[in-house]
Amino acid sequence: MSVAREGTLPPPGEAAAGPRRRPGAARRPLRRRILMLLAFMGPGIIAANAGNDAGGIATYASAGAQFGYRTLFAMVLVTVALVVVQEMCARLGAYTGEGLGALIREQFSIRVTAFALLALIVANVGLVVSEFAGIAAAMELLHVSRYISIPVAALGIWALVVFGSYKYAERLFLVLSLVFFAYPVAAFLSRPDYAQAGAQLAWPHFLATKAFLLLVVALIGTTITPYMQFYVAAAVADRGIGPADYPGEKLDTIAGSIFCNVISIFIIVATAAAIHVRAPLESAKQAAQALAPVAGRFATQLFAVGLLGASALAAAVVPLSTAYAISEAAGAERSVSKSFRQAPLFLGLFTGQVFIGAAVALIPGNLIKLLVEAQVLNGLITPILLTYVLVLANRASILGDAANGRLFKIVATISVATVAVLSATVLGQTVLSGLGIA
Amino acid sequence: MADSRPVPSVSVLRARYEQRVERLTTLRHVRSELVSLAGLIGRPVLNQAGQQIGHVADVVVRWDSNKAYPPVTGLIVRVGRRRAWLPVEAVEEFGRDRIGLRTARLDLRDVARRPGEVELSRDVIDHQLVDTDGARVIRASDLYLARVAGVVQLVGVDVGFNSLLRRLGPARFRSRPTPDKVIDWASITSFGSQRGPGGTLQAAERGLQRLRPGELADLLEDLGRTERQDLLSQLTPQQAADALEEMQDEELVRLLRESDTAGAAELLSRMEPDEAADGLRDLDPGEQQKLLAAMPAEAREAVATLLSYAERSAGGIMTTVLVTATPAETIMQVRDRLRANREHDEDLAGIIVLGDGGQLLDDVSMTELFLADLEATVDDLIGPPWPVTVTPDAGLDEVAERLVETRHSWVVVVDEQERPLGRILADDVLDTLVPDRPRFRFPRRLS
Repeated sequence: MSVAREGTLPPPGEAAAGPRRRPGAARRPLRRRILMLLAFMGPGIIAANAGNDAGGIATYASAGAQFGYRTLFAMVLVTVALVVVQEMCARLGAYTGEGLGALIREQFSIRVTAFALLALIVANVGLVVSEFAGIAAAMELLHVSRYISIPVAALGIWALVVFGSYKYAERLFLVLSLVFFAYPVAAFLSRPDYAQAGAQLAWPHFLATKAFLLLVVALIGTTITPYMQFYVAAAVADRGIGPADYPGEKLDTIAGSIFCNVISIFIIVATAAAIHVRAPLESAKQAAQALAPVAGRFATQLFAVGLLGASALAAAVVPLSTAYAISEAAGAERSVSKSFRQAPLFLGLFTGQVFIGAAVALIPGNLIKLLVEAQVLNGLITPILLTYVLVLANRASILGDAANGRLFKIVATISVATVAVLSATVLGQTVLSGLGIA
Repeated sequence: MADSRPVPSVSVLRARYEQRVERLTTLRHVRSELVSLAGLIGRPVLNQAGQQIGHVADVVVRWDSNKAYPPVTGLIVRVGRRRAWLPVEAVEEFGRDRIGLRTARLDLRDVARRPGEVELSRDVIDHQLVDTDGARVIRASDLYLARVAGVVQLVGVDVGFNSLLRRLGPARFRSRPTPDKVIDWASITSFGSQRGPGGTLQAAERGLQRLRPGELADLLEDLGRTERQDLLSQLTPQQAADALEEMQDEELVRLLRESDTAGAAELLSRMEPDEAADGLRDLDPGEQQKLLAAMPAEAREAVATLLSYAERSAGGIMTTVLVTATPAETIMQVRDRLRANREHDEDLAGIIVLGDGGQLLDDVSMTELFLADLEATVDDLIGPPWPVTVTPDAGLDEVAERLVETRHSWVVVVDEQERPLGRILADDVLDTLVPDRPRFRFPRRLS
């Protein structure tokens, strides 16, 4: 008798026949099965879902309230662009195994890298502002003043993340935010004008007004958020998805992007059917009416709960992801378990964003308007970062044979250029009107 | 796996790091000699007459495993739209903001890469490197060259934030070195086999061998994919397997996914079966089968048996490494067997004594064994205290309860015929009670 590795262990066949042993899969605890389901969902769909945050809800609801079904065709175009962009990012993640932050640092000169990261910080601070505005709007529906809710939320989220017990709060927020899956049901129950909605969806058109253009840029900003591009590349790399697994991941990314935009379209339709006066949204209470077909007189509360969950979730994740991307590019320590002395850049960036975001959201004004404006800011910055993604995905020195082909290059370039032209137009208009010219 | 050296505390590591940083920069004459790579790129190349011939596009060094610092072999010079090769022998002045030639003329040769040569600006600066002295992954913000004993060499890597700011600023300031956080190049492991011939210097390779499995695991978690695979290939298979045992489960899963099947199977078969099973458990059934099929039969059986138990049960956390003996054997024989199993010493708490039918008779502790007469037989040692046993499907709380009520440090896992299957040490239970260390990776935040 020697070392018992083989001696005392019955061969697997015998083990399987034993009455007390059941196969592992049948005994997997529930938690693991849910995790496996989430794993099956894949990074693409999770990333795209992150787009339906507070700013997203506010922007889609605004679109429905102000223009009825007329933004639906724009949403179709946005979906195409989103699919193209997310696919490129997932491909970069799968083929290089690196996040966009690291990839940009390695591939571009230091100044060009700094510009990209600066753009990311500005866009994400805008997002953080909108998340705190979302928290405030949700709490105002529940009759809590924003001058109480925002400071409490900012301190709470900061402390939870830095002192490391955020995990449980995060799950709660995630569950709360699932409320928004009530929108498709609400859209059907509200008996929308199917003929008109269908026509607006298929018929290529635009309205040549300033308000419409602004809203389209907000729609772009909230759907094709720079944050999501960084997320999907990092998530794909992080799961060890390589070139061999990429076809499956590609499907996940495309399906995920389409699925989430279908939800967005339902939010627009539900709000358009619920609100009959075509004017900009004035309050969150108004937006909540879209859920009335589902929740009846509790629509306001239901909307508030969902908005709170989505906003609080993103209010921690967005600043963390910015800090992660910047630290990754700078090669600095990035971990929430480190002290300020060990990871000054990471924790400093996180803290700065949370408190700047909260402070801006405290400025008196219309919260829904602030939410939409933050998405316009994101829309203005999106084309900058998309250009980086496009250049990276075009480079054969990074992706080899998986670099963009000629046809894809054309489609991707047109997508990015269209977004850029729209953003530039809005930027130009805003500057001109700011100067009192137009 | 056994490592007797104490693990240094954070403050000790910090102090060591500061000291190391100073070691290079306090040498005044070295400091005044330092040439910043970032500052040199784009600077003019002048001939003997002072006429400008072109600009510096890149600096090429050769990894030479016999030397502590890689020597510069030449420069890539941009002349018009062409990239030309300039051997270092033709350089008279290697300045911070200019390169002076020995000759008035320069015959332009095309750039041809030779094995072992690396372009610093393209492949090393801004890329990930491993600092084996500090056991961490860094990203080079600048590289410093210096002429030592007549040869221009790569001597240090800057990881400071100041150097990044300097590179952002106007060209005037770019060539002035800001060596606030410089690591001696002798302790750096670099990568690049994919992007071109890379390599590790001998000194750094020794440093790599010196790292603890836990430190290696942290490095593997922090590196990008190509760099991670590169580092793995520089380790001995056993060293790599030990490091993998220390990795967090999800990191291990990622590494197994991205490695090729044969390599992953080899690593798994060298790992302790319980750690290997933990990694495999989180893979899809298809991936799991593929890897199991590629493993050698013996290791496969051990891992497959463990996989058949639920994760949070006695069978799921036990180690199957057991040293067994029969009552008739002498203590001397048992000692020799233990010696042959030194590599598992962390998991061996006692000797399992087996009866004729393979059933558990006793679990003889190391103390009993140590105090016993060498000529005695195992039979003499059988007696109280009797081992504490559980069945493989016992829950973790049951195991914990048994440990608490008996004040034992381990339990033996037995099947229904009382045959030993494995052992659970108190620290295995502890692992399952303590939550994972929070380490932020932002993709995981939402999944």
